[in-house]
Amino acid sequence: MAILREITDIASVKMPIGETWTVSRCRYRSDDGAKGRVCLATGIHGNERMGQLVVYDVARRIKAQPECLHGTVDIYPMLNAIGLDISERMVPTGTMLDMNRAFPGVQDGTALESICYAIVQDMKGADLVLDIHTSSQITSELYGVRVHERHADAMISGAAALCPEVIWVLPDKPVHNASLCGALTQEDTHAVVIMVDERRLRAQMVVDQVVDGVFCKLRELGIWSGETKTAPAIQSIPCMWDEKDICRVTCRRPGMFVPNERNGSEVAAGDVLGTIFDALEGEPVETVTAPESGLVFTQRRYSAVYPGTLIARLCRKERA
Amino acid sequence: MKKDVIFTVPSYFRDDMNIMGYRFGKGEKSCAVLGALRGDEVQQLYVCARLVAFLREVERDGGIMPGKSVIVVPTAIGLSMNAGTRLWAPEETDINRCFPGDAEGSTTEQIAAALFEKLSVYKYGVQLTSFYQRGSFIPHVRMMETGRQNPELGCEFGLPYVYVRAPRTADQTTLNYCWQHAGTQAYSLYAGKTQEIDEAAADQTLRAIIRFLNGRGVIRSEQTMGQKSTVITDGDILSVSSKSAGLLRRVKHAGAHVRRGEQLAFIINPLDGAVKEVLKAPVTGMLFFIQDGPFITEHSPVFQVLAT
Repeated sequence: MAILREITDIASVKMPIGETWTVSRCRYRSDDGAKGRVCLATGIHGNERMGQLVVYDVARRIKAQPECLHGTVDIYPMLNAIGLDISERMVPTGTMLDMNRAFPGVQDGTALESICYAIVQDMKGADLVLDIHTSSQITSELYGVRVHERHADAMISGAAALCPEVIWVLPDKPVHNASLCGALTQEDTHAVVIMVDERRLRAQMVVDQVVDGVFCKLRELGIWSGETKTAPAIQSIPCMWDEKDICRVTCRRPGMFVPNERNGSEVAAGDVLGTIFDALEGEPVETVTAPESGLVFTQRRYSAVYPGTLIARLCRKERA
Repeated sequence: MKKDVIFTVPSYFRDDMNIMGYRFGKGEKSCAVLGALRGDEVQQLYVCARLVAFLREVERDGGIMPGKSVIVVPTAIGLSMNAGTRLWAPEETDINRCFPGDAEGSTTEQIAAALFEKLSVYKYGVQLTSFYQRGSFIPHVRMMETGRQNPELGCEFGLPYVYVRAPRTADQTTLNYCWQHAGTQAYSLYAGKTQEIDEAAADQTLRAIIRFLNGRGVIRSEQTMGQKSTVITDGDILSVSSKSAGLLRRVKHAGAHVRRGEQLAFIINPLDGAVKEVLKAPVTGMLFFIQDGPFITEHSPVFQVLAT
């Protein structure tokens, strides 16, 4: 059995000087008539490049065992190609807009709106869309799956097959509805956000964890018949059903923040998450501690902070 | 005049950023006017600064009506204005996509929450804002169609048009949308340009706010006659978009009356100067918006024409 590989431009916009912003899709499809379809998208934010390695490894595994594919895997690696090129989070045309606040787009709208529209039209109807994001330069995240509240009941148990370290249900807020995941949810297409840590020194290890989860999910959907890791029981994954399951730890003083590496570990109330210092005064100005016990699944890295800057997110132990 | 610090963002590398509110009169929270929420909204800042100067004189002359009060917040993003960035620089976020904010959230959400808490108690809200695309508008009043909008009251600004626009998903986190849902009669005023001062448009916008404040019985001052406003909706506006990309050479400007088929702009190959496309008016009407950047991408709205 062979797989069909096809690269298609699903949207394009000509730039002023001899360049076209193109959104391309690489489709891997089995020739056995299987109907299942999963989309992997990444690069909405140009400063998040770990998704490149994730989809590259997914493609490599498919090509290494083509007989195991039974259905379609669509890969969209570079949604915000110009932003990715210059490592700019926003779409660096016009007034620097966040692509993940421009969905579902408009067919005859601006360049960005028409591209967002084409992306949603191309993905809708898939069995599952995985929108791969990576933690920013200044935060460290556990490998997480974020599910839209509207589809949470139907998707939480299935999210376990992605083998995440945490699952987070995103509330049905306007800010989320204008994202790719939110727009697809409005179209009744199951879509989740995959959050990958961009700790570059261990890039391959982090990516392997995510790619293992992707194939585990493909197997659950009947799209992949190759060997995969065993999906964990949903009960074993910390799951945050709503905002009450999350403790956000912020700082009170501005300065430079030096973290105590805690991500992925359980902390108790009073444990130190990091210190803020003032280099001019040569003094520490704040010690940031965990206000309660919980699993640290987001932690700020060494960076400048303002009052209110998010230092950590804790998954509340008793509700996990 | 009272100067209030609405919110302070302490900074490590720089001075603290104080968001200042200039308050006039006492009693009912009648009208709040907000200027720049983005670092490049220079025109919006300028109009507010002139409004503060004007209201100071009105107050000195006893022209703030008893039991009424006005607050003007010229900018909520001085730190980014000084650094020359459009977005809230520390978090690269748009404050006008964070309303109603979160007092316990990120710095951007805290700024939005502090502004919203202070300003949503006012009966009328006026935001001087910019468009999400680069360009110039005919000065007009705009509001979103939330079911709570009051376009008739918007006519009291005396600007030629009051534009009621259907909100998109992303608009639901803007100040105008959230203001309306909180019970404030909210109006956005588009004051011509954004990144530079346009004196004529600033004068027109300032006069419109003064007219509204007089009309609502908040102040008593000299004012100029306004125009009879026409309420328009999305259906009255036709967009002229580019089919090509290149350098944009406009031959018509915002406010120009154009006939159907009249040439509006040329898109030119940036390397060899060849004309790639001629943009023409699809209907007879007035140019309501023009994109004023030097470059244009394919599929970009360049003009909005208000059909007559």
